[in-house]
Amino acid sequence: MTQVLAARAGRVTPEMEMVAAQENLDVQAVREGVAAGRIVIPRNIKRKDFQYCGIGEGLRIKVNALIGTSSDIEDVAMEERKLAFVEAAECDALMDLSTGGDIDGMRRLVLDKANIAVGSVPIYQAAIEAIDRRGSIVGMTAEDMFEAIEKQAADGVDFMAIHSALNFDVIRRLQNMGRVTDVVSRGGAFLTGWMLHNKKENPLYEQFNRLLEILKKYDVTLSLGDAIRPGSTADSLDGAQLQGLIVAGELVARAQAAGVQVMVEGPGHVPMNHVEATVLLQKRLCNRAPYFILGTLATDVAPGYDHITSAIGGALAGAVGADFLCYVTPAEHLGLPTEEDVKAGVIAARIAAHAADLARGNRQAWERDRQMAQARVDSDLDRQISLSIDPEQTRSAFGARDDRHDCAVCGADCAAQVAAKYFGIA
Amino acid sequence: MTQLSKAVKGIISPEMAQVAKSERVAPEFIRQGVAAGTIVIPHNIRHRNGASIGIGSGLRTKVSASVGVYADTDSIDTEVAKIKAALEAGTDSIMDLSVKGDIDAMRRENLAAASTPLGTLPYYQAVSEAAQKYGTALKMDVEALFDVIERQAADGVDFLALHCGTTMSIVERLKKENRLDPLVSYGGSHLIGWMLHNHRENPLYEYYDRVLEIARRYDVTLSIADGMRPGCLADSLDGAQVQELVVMGELVRRAREAGVQVMVKGPGHVPLNQLKATIVLQKSLCKGAPYFVFGPVVTDIAAGYDHISAAIGGAVSAWAGAEFICYVTASEHIGLPDADQVREGVVAARIAAHAADVAKGLRGAADWDFELSKARKDLDWPKQIALSIDPKRAEYMRKTRSDDTVTGCAMCGKYCAMEVVSRYLGVSKVSC
Repeated sequence: MTQVLAARAGRVTPEMEMVAAQENLDVQAVREGVAAGRIVIPRNIKRKDFQYCGIGEGLRIKVNALIGTSSDIEDVAMEERKLAFVEAAECDALMDLSTGGDIDGMRRLVLDKANIAVGSVPIYQAAIEAIDRRGSIVGMTAEDMFEAIEKQAADGVDFMAIHSALNFDVIRRLQNMGRVTDVVSRGGAFLTGWMLHNKKENPLYEQFNRLLEILKKYDVTLSLGDAIRPGSTADSLDGAQLQGLIVAGELVARAQAAGVQVMVEGPGHVPMNHVEATVLLQKRLCNRAPYFILGTLATDVAPGYDHITSAIGGALAGAVGADFLCYVTPAEHLGLPTEEDVKAGVIAARIAAHAADLARGNRQAWERDRQMAQARVDSDLDRQISLSIDPEQTRSAFGARDDRHDCAVCGADCAAQVAAKYFGIA
Repeated sequence: MTQLSKAVKGIISPEMAQVAKSERVAPEFIRQGVAAGTIVIPHNIRHRNGASIGIGSGLRTKVSASVGVYADTDSIDTEVAKIKAALEAGTDSIMDLSVKGDIDAMRRENLAAASTPLGTLPYYQAVSEAAQKYGTALKMDVEALFDVIERQAADGVDFLALHCGTTMSIVERLKKENRLDPLVSYGGSHLIGWMLHNHRENPLYEYYDRVLEIARRYDVTLSIADGMRPGCLADSLDGAQVQELVVMGELVRRAREAGVQVMVKGPGHVPLNQLKATIVLQKSLCKGAPYFVFGPVVTDIAAGYDHISAAIGGAVSAWAGAEFICYVTASEHIGLPDADQVREGVVAARIAAHAADVAKGLRGAADWDFELSKARKDLDWPKQIALSIDPKRAEYMRKTRSDDTVTGCAMCGKYCAMEVVSRYLGVSKVSC
């Protein structure tokens, strides 16, 4: 039985209990959220026990990291180090997007090593294997796609990005719109090319019930891939994107009715003044299903710093209701991230998520900031280190700093100390 | 005559014309903004080599980088290197916040080096000189403070940050507020200590007309600094902060009446959901005077990464109407920034400023994004890199994260599937 079916039957699962304990919430509130589809708890029934996380309304905003080999760089050891770092940096989930080398082996390794929810994009493997077996991506068959999904589900993948919300209506809109950057989702591009070449509807849309059956069998959480996400701020909130969101809404309703956990993926490049409308539309059209966004990037002009453009967009989106932030690294638009880039991406996304939690009035978040402020007033460096977002980094940055009052500027009789005594904090 | 007095008289000065040109607006638009006080052009009549920039409503959001001699390891050379890094990274102005050493020499060096407006905080030097003279800054005398202000203005400093609004009644309010962190601003803390020790009103408030007189003589733009800047989220928008903003509003009015250009400094640590209210209050109480915000950071826990926290706060503030962003570096709350952190801090602030300009629909702002996205779609790497906010960094990252001889990038490798889709959509090349 899936989490959502258990919740609807009034049953509290161990996964719901763990989520409630982490979030300091009544477990019935979690159960109700899962039953209504406003909360998902990605956890494949084949997967070992791990640190589950709840994603959705009323919960702390979660952060997702991406790892995986590419055809240019297939360094499994480096990916393993990234995985270890991602966990140490308190990411709530990660996706293995491997497209190079032994894809099955990499996925199984990740599922084995990771202690957090693991996601994947099965169409990548289907497409790459189609090149080997059939000579091209467009030679891929519908069976290839479902085989990859079934295989990955049976391996224990907890959530899958699947681009079902792409059909010919959406593509026609896209062609009518004249975008700056047409299709920037890799999975979306594979499928668009496949559909146009084969003159066939997207099998993941057309055979959606078949997909739901597989997902239900393993309780894989469906993450409706955003095939049509804007790749430049100029393309944000255009007709194609909205058509895709409308289709996603229909599919969310069907998944929820079938007892499959479902969330929706979102953009992408979004100017700040579009963020609130984007989130509101998703919540309205998709029956308040959790929203999983990539960024959002507040401007197109900062390659090398897209972890920062994404922190801006992610914080804003989180504050108005996005539930799950996929990190963006400084290497975005330029290449495959190194471990250092992964770290920068994770921290930036966590800052955005935390800033949004504060804006939403999350009590645990406020308590942590209050304690940090107190540690600063007390000049308690150890507390400042342990409360900071990256304690290891803070420890080494502090180095030999000594916070005794010894500033050489104003001498022993310091005016700031007089003021501090007056306020009782000296 | 100050820019403000000229503008009120209907004169379009060469500085206004220069600002109009760089902002691509009509000179008359600038003149009206300067006359109304919603635009300032910090340009001391004695700072000959400084370019004129406009800060205010309807203009591109500007950023400022702070340097200065603070520690024994700092020297004029280390700080000049930071200024170079900041200018290279595209800062619109520099603040020299030196608190020790030969502060006069440092400032004069900066004025010679900076092609941008330069700001200072004279109270720091007054503290330093009083400590040298008397062994304690508590004995600073008011004449010496005004002497420093006059000296800095006469040297050609373009804008002076002064805590004119931190009055005794606000200090008392602060005590009642039970703030978690009552003392955050370095200058403000020393000023408050002096006031409490000597049982005297803030001289910058008491003799505000004297401040205005000096500012007017050299056309120094006044940057009224906030002694009540919140130093943690929990203290944001409390009574002390808001009361100081009320007083600042009065001081803005008096400055304008005296023909002195004026802007207002702002926080600080502000939760995301209070940023808009903070800006709206400043705009209302200070009659549209430009708002110069420090960050703001949106969480207290991002030590080591406060340039990112500040980019979030700066972007949202500027979108809501703040016109001038003081950068925050990764070393904030930890120590002093090195040249790399200065550079990164400037770029983060510029990203925030630009994202806000796009969100506000500032004319021309989105063109930059459009051009870069077109180059991205065309897989035109030289153009993408040239259009990047920090071309050197983009180029380095591309070289080290991809094999830069390929058309796509190592993220997708040979599955740069955009090439698949582009064939069918009838366009030549598409990329993420």
